[in-house]
Amino acid sequence: MLQRLITILWPPFLIAGVADALFFTLFDPLQLLYQQEPVFGSRLAAYTVGFFLFWLLGIGSSALTCYFQRGADEINHCPLPPSQRPPGCPKREGCADCQ
Amino acid sequence: MDPNTPTPPASETAHDLEESLYAVRQKIQPRAVHGWFANWRLALVLLTQLVYYGLPWLRWDGHQAVLFDLAARKFYIFGLTLWPQDFIWLTGLLVISALSLFLFTAVAGRLWCGYACPQTVYTEIFMWIEELTEGGHLARKKLDSSPWNIEKARKRGLKHLLWFLIAFWTGFTFVGYFTPITLLGKELATFSTGGWETFWVFFYAFATWGNAGFMREQVCKYMCPYARFQSVMFDSDTLTVTYDTSRGEPRGPRSRKADYKALGLGDCVDCGICVQVCPTGIDIRRGLQYECIGCAACIDGCNQVMEKMGYPKGLIRYTTENVVKGKYSDSGILGHVFRPRVLVYGAILLAVIGAFLITLANRVPLRLEVIRDRLTLSRTTDEGRLENLYTLQILNMENQRHRYRISVSGADDIRIVVDDKNLQAGPQETVQVPIRLQVDPASLKGPSTPILIKVQAEENPKLTREAKSSFLRR
Repeated sequence: MLQRLITILWPPFLIAGVADALFFTLFDPLQLLYQQEPVFGSRLAAYTVGFFLFWLLGIGSSALTCYFQRGADEINHCPLPPSQRPPGCPKREGCADCQ
Repeated sequence: MDPNTPTPPASETAHDLEESLYAVRQKIQPRAVHGWFANWRLALVLLTQLVYYGLPWLRWDGHQAVLFDLAARKFYIFGLTLWPQDFIWLTGLLVISALSLFLFTAVAGRLWCGYACPQTVYTEIFMWIEELTEGGHLARKKLDSSPWNIEKARKRGLKHLLWFLIAFWTGFTFVGYFTPITLLGKELATFSTGGWETFWVFFYAFATWGNAGFMREQVCKYMCPYARFQSVMFDSDTLTVTYDTSRGEPRGPRSRKADYKALGLGDCVDCGICVQVCPTGIDIRRGLQYECIGCAACIDGCNQVMEKMGYPKGLIRYTTENVVKGKYSDSGILGHVFRPRVLVYGAILLAVIGAFLITLANRVPLRLEVIRDRLTLSRTTDEGRLENLYTLQILNMENQRHRYRISVSGADDIRIVVDDKNLQAGPQETVQVPIRLQVDPASLKGPSTPILIKVQAEENPKLTREAKSSFLRR
């Protein structure tokens, strides 16, 4: 589970750094307006918030990739009753009638 | 542990297993190693950190020598000041770094990983502290498995305190590259650093602490993109840390006095030192593996054993695949450096460096933008000429004041009226200059005539920029 978490978190972290640098090279955050009001009070705030926004977007994308990557075995109901599942099978854990 | 027992007994192994961040792994407590390559690494750790920690404090021409001033959107690199518009040169620097990495990798494998990568460098520093506070690798293993008591808490506490201090200073220095470090230092001394700076100091400190203290070789094995594609740059003539199988096998323990050749043994005494010193926990005797960061700790370790046994050094050494295959001897390695792959990488690198330097030398530190007055499209003057209004935005990217001359072309007898007679811009200043262009309506051929506005510094004709706009009839 932890391994999957890092797979979801790490690649977007790298990409967020690149995206943040590219985006704010092209656009000065102080000139970004929303309904005639500046969006950010300070540039450092914009870079930081921008970085985490990009990261969040990437996390969403990576999480979906992981989610869709699940094989049929992980999605389908197991035909075996929990107690007859082989040792080590994650669906065996926590079943009521296992020893 | 006796050096003759490379792997711990099974029960101990099971005990040491921990659910790590990536996979079930045995916590690696590498044995410290001394020798030629360890000294090189020590030298490079000191050098890179001297540069990293020292550079932000260096002054140049009245400003911080290297400062990527994010808040002001200006990058100072010694005498050079780069603006966001100059992004291409920063990209160029990155491309040059990447190509250099390719070149070094093709010639001598993962030199970067073994000696200069921050991950290696900080892991090395953190391991010194570990050795200092918790003792050698055996003492640390013992401490890992011992129950918590005051002694363990004291050792662990001291280690984490020292780790934290280094991590914090690293984070502080990191932020000091982006916000003036003297100012940041003063703010830090009075606990008045800005919120965003504080956040990044701690964020980077946390990353340093986690990566160098806990993740260690897992960063190289699972997180580093370079580790995954570096094999693309490798070929059979690339220098890598290699175990000489033909010399070493069959391996086995023996007495120092024994005639091991008569016993049918190779040079490897199977002491397991090469495995014990490996920061990524691999056995180099199984051949080149992607986990190997080329740190050469196993070379140092093995050479010490070879020396003690009275055998020639270099059972594990930097050599190439083709040498091991017997295609040529170690003395032929140098002659194989200049092969097509290396020459091509070198040529591309030289071309990019050349283009970088030439374009940088010809960079015009002046920017010009022309903005048409949107309210008044066109009007007629008392003389009966048509007049259009514009605002020039002149950005002086240099560190000295300049006076400018404006000229315009594109229509017959086009006149330029500038109200501000003393047109100048201070160091790194942007000035807005309203101008009026006047044309005889008879000379205009269509409703819109393209024009070219030129700004030139009075004292330096090379400092010239042109911008296109249009003159409207109505």
